[in-house]
Amino acid sequence: MFSTIFKQELKYWFKKPAFYIYALIFLLLSLLFSAGAAGVFDFLTVTTGSALIVNSPIGISNLFSGLTILIFFLFPAIIGVSIYRDFKSEMHTILYSYPFTKANYLFAKFFSAIVVVSLIVLTIGLGMIIGFRLPGTNSEIVGPLNIMIYLQNYLLFILPNILFIGAIVFGVVAFTRNIAAGFITVIIILFGQGVLESLLSDPENRTMAAILDPFGGASIRYYTQYWTVSEQNELPIPIKEMIVYNRLLWLGIGTVVFSLVFKFFTFSQHAFSFSFGKKKSERATKSNFGGITRINLPKVSYDYSFLQNLKTTWKLSNIDFKYIVKSWAFISIVLVGLIFILIVISEVGDIFGTATLPLTWKMLNGGGAFTASINICTFLYAGMLVHRAKISRTNHIIDATPIPNWTLLTSKLIALIKMQWVLLTIIMISGLVFQIYKGYYNFEMGHYLYELYILNFLNYLLWALLALFVQTLMGNPYVGLFALLILSIGIPVLSLVGVEQDILKFNEGPGFNYSDINGYGSSVLPYIVYKLYWLLFGFVLLIITSLFWVRGIPNSFKERFSFAIKRFKGITAIGFAVFFIGFLFLGFSIYKEGNIDNVRKSSKEREQLRVDWEKDYKRFENYAQPRMIAVNAKMNLFPKERNFEASALMTMVNKTEVAIDSIFLNHNGYPSTFKFSLANTLVLEDTIQNFDIYKFDQKIQPGDTLTLAVTIKNKINTTLRNNSPVIENGTFVNSGIFPTLGYASGGELTDNKTRKKFGLSPNDLRPHPSDSTALANTYISKDSDWIDFEATVSTSKDQIAIAPGYLQKEWVKEGRRYFYYKMDSKILNFYAFNSARYEVQKEMYKDISLEIYYHKGHEFNLDRMMAGMKASLDYGANNFSPYQHRQLRIIEFPKTGGTFAQSFPNTIPFSEGIGFIADVDDSDEGGVDYPFAVTVHEVAHQWWAHQVIGADVLGATMLSESVSEYVSLKVLEHQQGKSEMRKFLKKALDDYLQQRTFERKREKALMYNDGQGYIRYQKGSLVFYALSDYIGERNLNNALKKYVEKVQFQEAPYTTSIDMVNHIKEATPDSLQYVIKDMFETITLYSNRIVETNTTELENGKYQVDIEFEVSKYRNDEKGRKYYGEKVGDTLSYKTDKMKKPILSVPLADYIDLGIFAEEEVDGKKKEVVLYFQKHKITAIHNKVSIIVDKKPTEVGVDPYNKLIDTQSDDNRRKL
Amino acid sequence: MKLVIQNLTKTYKNGVKAIDDLSIEIGNGMFGLLGPNGAGKSSLMRTIATLQTPDSGTVTFGDINVLEDNMSLRKVLGYLPQSFGVYPKMSAEDLLDYFATLKGISNKAERNAIVKEVLEITNLYDVRGKHVAGYSGGMKQRFGIAQLLLNNPKLIIVDEPTAGLDPAERHRFLNVLREVGTNSTVIFSTHIVEDVKELCNEMAILNGGRILKHTTPQEATKEIEGTIWTKIINREDLDAIEQNFNLLSSNYNQDNTLNVRVHAAEKPAEGFEKTAPQLDDVYFIALKQDEPVIA
Repeated sequence: MFSTIFKQELKYWFKKPAFYIYALIFLLLSLLFSAGAAGVFDFLTVTTGSALIVNSPIGISNLFSGLTILIFFLFPAIIGVSIYRDFKSEMHTILYSYPFTKANYLFAKFFSAIVVVSLIVLTIGLGMIIGFRLPGTNSEIVGPLNIMIYLQNYLLFILPNILFIGAIVFGVVAFTRNIAAGFITVIIILFGQGVLESLLSDPENRTMAAILDPFGGASIRYYTQYWTVSEQNELPIPIKEMIVYNRLLWLGIGTVVFSLVFKFFTFSQHAFSFSFGKKKSERATKSNFGGITRINLPKVSYDYSFLQNLKTTWKLSNIDFKYIVKSWAFISIVLVGLIFILIVISEVGDIFGTATLPLTWKMLNGGGAFTASINICTFLYAGMLVHRAKISRTNHIIDATPIPNWTLLTSKLIALIKMQWVLLTIIMISGLVFQIYKGYYNFEMGHYLYELYILNFLNYLLWALLALFVQTLMGNPYVGLFALLILSIGIPVLSLVGVEQDILKFNEGPGFNYSDINGYGSSVLPYIVYKLYWLLFGFVLLIITSLFWVRGIPNSFKERFSFAIKRFKGITAIGFAVFFIGFLFLGFSIYKEGNIDNVRKSSKEREQLRVDWEKDYKRFENYAQPRMIAVNAKMNLFPKERNFEASALMTMVNKTEVAIDSIFLNHNGYPSTFKFSLANTLVLEDTIQNFDIYKFDQKIQPGDTLTLAVTIKNKINTTLRNNSPVIENGTFVNSGIFPTLGYASGGELTDNKTRKKFGLSPNDLRPHPSDSTALANTYISKDSDWIDFEATVSTSKDQIAIAPGYLQKEWVKEGRRYFYYKMDSKILNFYAFNSARYEVQKEMYKDISLEIYYHKGHEFNLDRMMAGMKASLDYGANNFSPYQHRQLRIIEFPKTGGTFAQSFPNTIPFSEGIGFIADVDDSDEGGVDYPFAVTVHEVAHQWWAHQVIGADVLGATMLSESVSEYVSLKVLEHQQGKSEMRKFLKKALDDYLQQRTFERKREKALMYNDGQGYIRYQKGSLVFYALSDYIGERNLNNALKKYVEKVQFQEAPYTTSIDMVNHIKEATPDSLQYVIKDMFETITLYSNRIVETNTTELENGKYQVDIEFEVSKYRNDEKGRKYYGEKVGDTLSYKTDKMKKPILSVPLADYIDLGIFAEEEVDGKKKEVVLYFQKHKITAIHNKVSIIVDKKPTEVGVDPYNKLIDTQSDDNRRKL
Repeated sequence: MKLVIQNLTKTYKNGVKAIDDLSIEIGNGMFGLLGPNGAGKSSLMRTIATLQTPDSGTVTFGDINVLEDNMSLRKVLGYLPQSFGVYPKMSAEDLLDYFATLKGISNKAERNAIVKEVLEITNLYDVRGKHVAGYSGGMKQRFGIAQLLLNNPKLIIVDEPTAGLDPAERHRFLNVLREVGTNSTVIFSTHIVEDVKELCNEMAILNGGRILKHTTPQEATKEIEGTIWTKIINREDLDAIEQNFNLLSSNYNQDNTLNVRVHAAEKPAEGFEKTAPQLDDVYFIALKQDEPVIA
């Protein structure tokens, strides 16, 4: 019997076109994604250059699992339908009286559906295998085909997931006899997985996450999350405990679910239903005798007018709306979505464990987590409403009433809109509830309403229009939903295949962004214009939808087409024409603005420009140029019009020993004029790269001075295009707006494979610091050393404008406010202009004027920032050298300009997105006080960048960023104790290990780094902190102080990391020189762990703790390959009988912390007390020590505070 | 008003000619459309009810060209499909209000009044608050009549409404229909001859998409007066009778003998007795004549 049903089911599917369509869709999708990743579209768009092999085991696993998620949406329509079909066709009334067993029936149904799904999934694998080696893919990023990897993935992850989720969907549909319930289940599983992931996102919950993730992704990540590029490329996915546990758990759950289905399923005629309490039963009879009634219908009036139809539309929409909000699918999606929002809102903007104040824009950002829910509801209910009459078989009655099609269609649209408004309201309510919960009572209702019901709504409305269109063409709401999901995922990534213009991609266009300081600024108008453009298209779609609306008996597509043509007349045709012409017209206007009036470059063209730039001008890189020595800038800002007019007089001198005949002027595309004080000829004007060559009539002799007068303004802004960096409130423009001299290497392509394709030689990014010929420039600027700076900045009357320097004069002229700033000492050629309606907080501290320019309402953390300035100034002055200025200013700028702070001479623009709105919790449980920490870091740059500046060679950022981060850590430690420090370091360690896995070129040692953030900040802070622990803070700072004295304000040749490290080496005892080598000169990682511990109470009441632990370290080369020694044969090795592979290590003579801790209750809270903490010299991998402590210990640890870089930081401690 | 159908043809995708060059005129009153399963009754009804478009032919109702101007027909149309469902979790009252809105009754008070009236007519007033989806077959059919009445239709099309109803429900249904039919054109399809006999002032027999006979019940029986013969026979003799005579029907008696009815101008044979013609005989005679001739 089993085989009869099984075969019948398969035959059913193999005859259905849907099966082949699904298979084809997945084949194409996987083909597209894999071929795209392998660079098949490089001829259309930018080159896919990367050190990563796309079909590495982990790469295959990610893509395979990712695409499989999509197929879960088809489960209701395949696995659910396998059993539902019998109910729907009422076959079950006959079938269930037949003599086959439940087992035969259920197993045959279930496994035939699983076979069908598995076959479709196999096409994903097939698509990948083909896609990765399609002609035109980049063979350098594709490894050899290993069919075992696909098979392993399929058997270990894909198939179990299909079985487990399939069993649940099957069970739900079998009991409820309702496909929608199956669909809800899939949604809940998917959302549930998302919720689980974000709840367990903390590194401490890795084990839990690994075991509980229903799809098994987290169990893979448990082992692979810190894999370097070469490990990702080369290693197979390790099938270890976590993965095995995870798979067993979920297969087990799947089995349990299926057994329950098996146990409780009965061949009954009615669906399983829940009833709360037993209803009392009654004998039912009806009256079987009735007289003849006279029919006398009351006179009523019938109104078929347009107006009445409009009213009817509204009324019908209410009925459909009620249907939606009362349906289980809707309620479930909303509930899981709501949980998701609340989780996201509560975590949004956490920085170093510190929350951000629940500002309205934060809440709205968090509400973005609801997007998926709103879209899925829109897609699904568009189908449910379109097919509602048909599903309930009321369609013949409804279709025979004199209600026009447009009324029916529009009522569905309005019902969808109402649903969307309800969902948007949920976002608002969640936000408000969360704000109240946090005690934040500044409710910006206008902001909520405007963003949700106007800006966001426009986006959802467009999806609703498309959804109605697709669902009307499709016969089945779930298939329609699937098609819409594919569209919504596919459309935005069309740029990967070279479709870059938003006007070609439905519902795409520029986004809007909000800042408390500047509101939506100029971002909102282009957003609305694009939405309007798509709305016109949406109306065209709506009209087409009405043309294809099914009235009466479902027709063949051919018939529907001929109806559509017949219906295309009168007002419909006129409406179509109007909207379509409007759409084309607006589309053309947008196109014209972006492509004809202005030059638009595709990313492929931009890539080519970078190549041309290097090919044409690189040869001038070392051509002698004069150096800037003074800048006198005038910057006139017009905030309301968002314009600027700038001019500058730049003084330069020939500091070389040769006569200079030409100046290379590297500028930007703003309308500008340039005038040198010496006679010259413009011999080359490259208007594409904006690179000009001026040849001087008489050579500029060594020591000669000349000036360059520059004027720059912006082109007029238009509705769609911002041609200026000026914003209405909160402008932040830096010195990059002015021209520089000579070739700049910043734009060169970095990926060597891509470079090879364009015939460029491999790029070493920067010279090595040992290259003494490469030290002529700082890494900040190529055309200057230290300059005199003055600036006059003007702005509107209600704003304050700021530039580095001391305010000399302030005046108002013609309704505008002018500020004249002048520096009294030389600075780097690096400055910025800010202007906004600022509030100011000022304080004199040790003759230094501390000032914070902030946005009214952002007063929350000003005191912390003030304290940060003071602490950092003191630390710098006490440990390194005097502060070179008499003032220090923090200037808030809108988060739309970025979420960072940047240190200019005595002036620190500081984004509203960090610090200003932090919600610092000062208790022990709270996170890092980052408004304080970031301020300290930025102020430290006044030394570590503005006094000591590295040459433009590898490792330069260590001198500025790493040391500033170190200062920030130390100040934090002195002010707030070690526990604050550990939060910071833990985060730094995780971030470093995490981010290095995304490295696409190479990772070098700290002192030779290419400037990557994760090295200069995260690794830098870890290294300097550990170093201060090894050689002492005093000692380290003294070394740094000597170094500062030697190199501060120096002219070329500039200092390098080698110079700094040599100073540190001098202060480091011989026994610890290895630390320098490990931390600065190489990439060294430890893997330390406690193996076994044992405590015995001694007779004297003390405790003896025996600790068995392992210490080993390895090095990574720049691709992330491990190696263990300096030279052949010096590698340490340790192996016991139980171990399959030995532990290897670089030779050890290392000093490692050992700690023993007890727990103590202080004020009702458990606190850790240190019983023993000491560095031990370790020379072997395997070690045993016995330590006697006074109290009963509860925990021991090797490197317990994770000062050393270790990818498994959670096995360093062991609870007793 | 008169419903005029001319040369209507409809062929389905699978090649079945459901309506075959059909022409008929139907006037006021009850019109019974009699035909076996698959005769094309529903196709014809759906075409008149604007739910399906024919391949060729015209349909007019009074001045309304039904195929061109289906909206005008829908305004005066009451249609009860052969089988229909309703939105779940909605009461009869709410659903009728919904249909009344669709049918263009804009005034809330008027809508309430007519909904109340049709509920009373169909004897559903007591259960107006219950979900229609939970109604029994008879109640649901009555609900179907209720919704049909809402726009005071001039043309009423009911497709096999009595199938599956118990005798009480069937009578009640037919009575209501009869009441309604006094002022309008009611087209009523059925394969139950009784229905037509009891109710219709005009009738047609449809088979294979063609009208075999268009007549009135009285006239139809009158026409065959004196040509229907009956005889009680044994089961074994049936084949002989079937071969030799124009056998219309045969029914078992309780003693396992058979009661046969034969159509013949003269007394067919010994033992046959003349009997009063019934509408069934008309029906079977028509179908018999339409049967493919087996050579």
